[in-house]
Amino acid sequence: MTAPFPTPVADETQRLLSPDELAAALRDIGARRYHNLHPFHRLLHDGKLNKDQVRAWALNRYYYQAMIPIKDAAVLARMEDAALRRIWRQRIVDHDGDAPGDGGIERWLKLAEGVGFSRDYVESTQGILSATRFSVDAYVHFVKERSLLEAIASSLTEMFSPTIISERVAGMLKNYDFITKDTLAYFDKRLTQAPRDADFALDYVQQHATTPELQRQAMAALTFKCNVLWTQLDALYFAYVAPGLTPPDAWTPGTGLVPETTTAQAAGTGTLGPHDVPRLPRGVRLRHDTVRGEHVLLAPERTFDLDANAVAVLEYVDGSRTVRDIAGLLAEKFTADRAVIESDILVMLNDLATKRVLER
Amino acid sequence: MNAITPTAPVLPAPVGLLAELTHRCPLRCPYCSNPLELDRRSGELDTATWQRVLTEAAALGVLHVHLSGGEPTARNDIVEITQTCAKLGLYSNLITSGVGGALAKLDALYDVGLDHVQLSVQGVDAANAEKIGGLKNAQPQKFAFAERVTQLGLPLTLNSVIHRGNIHEVEGFIDLAVKLGAKRLEVAHTQYYGWAYVNRAALMPNKAEVDRSIRIVEAARERLKGQLVIDLVVPDYYAKYPKACAGGWGRKLMNVTPAGKVLPCHAAETIKHLEFWYVTDHSLGDIWANSPAFTAYRGTDWMQEPCRSCDRREKDWGGCRCQALALAGDAAATDPACSLSPLHAKVRDLATEEAAETPPDYTYRTIGSNVQPNVRSPLSEDVSL
Repeated sequence: MTAPFPTPVADETQRLLSPDELAAALRDIGARRYHNLHPFHRLLHDGKLNKDQVRAWALNRYYYQAMIPIKDAAVLARMEDAALRRIWRQRIVDHDGDAPGDGGIERWLKLAEGVGFSRDYVESTQGILSATRFSVDAYVHFVKERSLLEAIASSLTEMFSPTIISERVAGMLKNYDFITKDTLAYFDKRLTQAPRDADFALDYVQQHATTPELQRQAMAALTFKCNVLWTQLDALYFAYVAPGLTPPDAWTPGTGLVPETTTAQAAGTGTLGPHDVPRLPRGVRLRHDTVRGEHVLLAPERTFDLDANAVAVLEYVDGSRTVRDIAGLLAEKFTADRAVIESDILVMLNDLATKRVLER
Repeated sequence: MNAITPTAPVLPAPVGLLAELTHRCPLRCPYCSNPLELDRRSGELDTATWQRVLTEAAALGVLHVHLSGGEPTARNDIVEITQTCAKLGLYSNLITSGVGGALAKLDALYDVGLDHVQLSVQGVDAANAEKIGGLKNAQPQKFAFAERVTQLGLPLTLNSVIHRGNIHEVEGFIDLAVKLGAKRLEVAHTQYYGWAYVNRAALMPNKAEVDRSIRIVEAARERLKGQLVIDLVVPDYYAKYPKACAGGWGRKLMNVTPAGKVLPCHAAETIKHLEFWYVTDHSLGDIWANSPAFTAYRGTDWMQEPCRSCDRREKDWGGCRCQALALAGDAAATDPACSLSPLHAKVRDLATEEAAETPPDYTYRTIGSNVQPNVRSPLSEDVSL
């Protein structure tokens, strides 16, 4: 078989690596190719993405999460040793849970719901990028077609995941006000599950990659898996960051979301629409706090810290402009799409209305 | 004491000033947060001093001023003081009983730019409310006051302090808030300081009643979403973790007493070894940064175990110092309201025990009283466990 993924260490040495050298070579692959290095992840963790870009990530990544147990079942089906299967099946249990409402996929759905999606829309996977589907499917095919050693070695990206998870959870909690600890519950579990799984898989690879060729295959398998992850982020970056070319049929902001004010509607107080005129009632004031150098919204017994976007919106809330007028002014100011802005500011203004600090 | 140095690099600016303009009040609520030794009218700060304090507060970074008391409208200069807040851009919040001269001054307060009114209601049923507040005919005055507040278009918050004498009325408070046109309702379980500590046995509800009240509030929040915001303060003694008292000692809040003493929280004077500074001797900024009372428990350096190594230490800041002193005998101890405190179980048992007994009569607050707290302590031997 020709080598589709040349790996320098093995090619240069052409000798059998010791178990420790093999582990080091595998770690080196992660150090250079794991997706924590991808620009999209840097943006995600540093709080540089807007809410819709975070949504695109959560939506697409769901397909990967949902296919993991199918991938692991394919690996399991090839294991002839019951002891091995007993260990591997834990991965399926972790992801699927033992009962409805449990497991990693469920927690990912919670994350997607936490950023505003309707569960049905996410589960349908109809809005994901084709590149996401192709990458993930390639992974499932890979573990079915290659040797068991390669299938297991491809899971070794878990060796690198605790780092990215810690960075991600800390970064996202710090930088996005719409992300809560509950939303990120998925990663809490993975912090303990991933190292356990990776320890076992590494041990297996070290024991079974007994020739230079097998070691090269194991490293190639891990490289392949890093590429599966990397490619998904390339596609997200291309479609939702720059140049922002979203393929036809892929998710666009505003679709698949749960209206945030359903309950207010039920209560009969109504929801702010594009043609309504929002105003700050008496007792709610936008003020520049000169001591702290930031804008705040002062309201009864509370203060809202505002980011630059919220300030830009509230500065146009004057009791005579409609939401659509405001979206138009902002679209001009920031040369952005009016419809996208309108849907974003409706969410923000309705949230303030629910808190009783904005009226129409 | 291991206080942080005044030049500590990041001293956050205070966001709130609780201005206790006077201790005088027509009501005599047995859970009043004022100290047992109330300031007399003759010792109150004058108008010019309050105006200077407010000017210093605005420069320091204060955003919200809570005009409180006692009954703040008992001050003849309440309109001038409110106007000063408005001129300085400070958000003014009038915390009032709505009785006595409050209604007569309301339109003038509106005209000078008052931002918000928080009106206390002691009960829903008038007889019960007036028994708790210790003043006949208070309820109709409160309703008339609330009506005028909403007529003027001022935002109204109702504040209900919950205890065993009115915990059966929680649904009623919610309905009342809606009926009076309030945008916010505070369902605040009694915090046991000041007069409430003295009256604890008369006020402490049982756990089942507390749980029921929480369920009612949660259901109402959902039902009234977008119409009424309900803030809930749960009682410490039944909580799992303590509250970040005043948002953390010396982190968010300054409290100026009628006589000009500056406290990190309204109960801080119960910690007798603390040295408080007066606005008549020091600027507010100097007091915030340097007064011994503020530096004593600011940050985490003063903490003991289990707080010291706890990963919640910068969430709740060890809970309440005054409660630690009252219940654990040491102001630097973990607040026994915390489930991690060694005294927590005893405190909870004490609450359960008191709530099961026939409530004693209220000790109403009065100026010039000589009330000595006669309250059972979790440290004493007579607590049966």
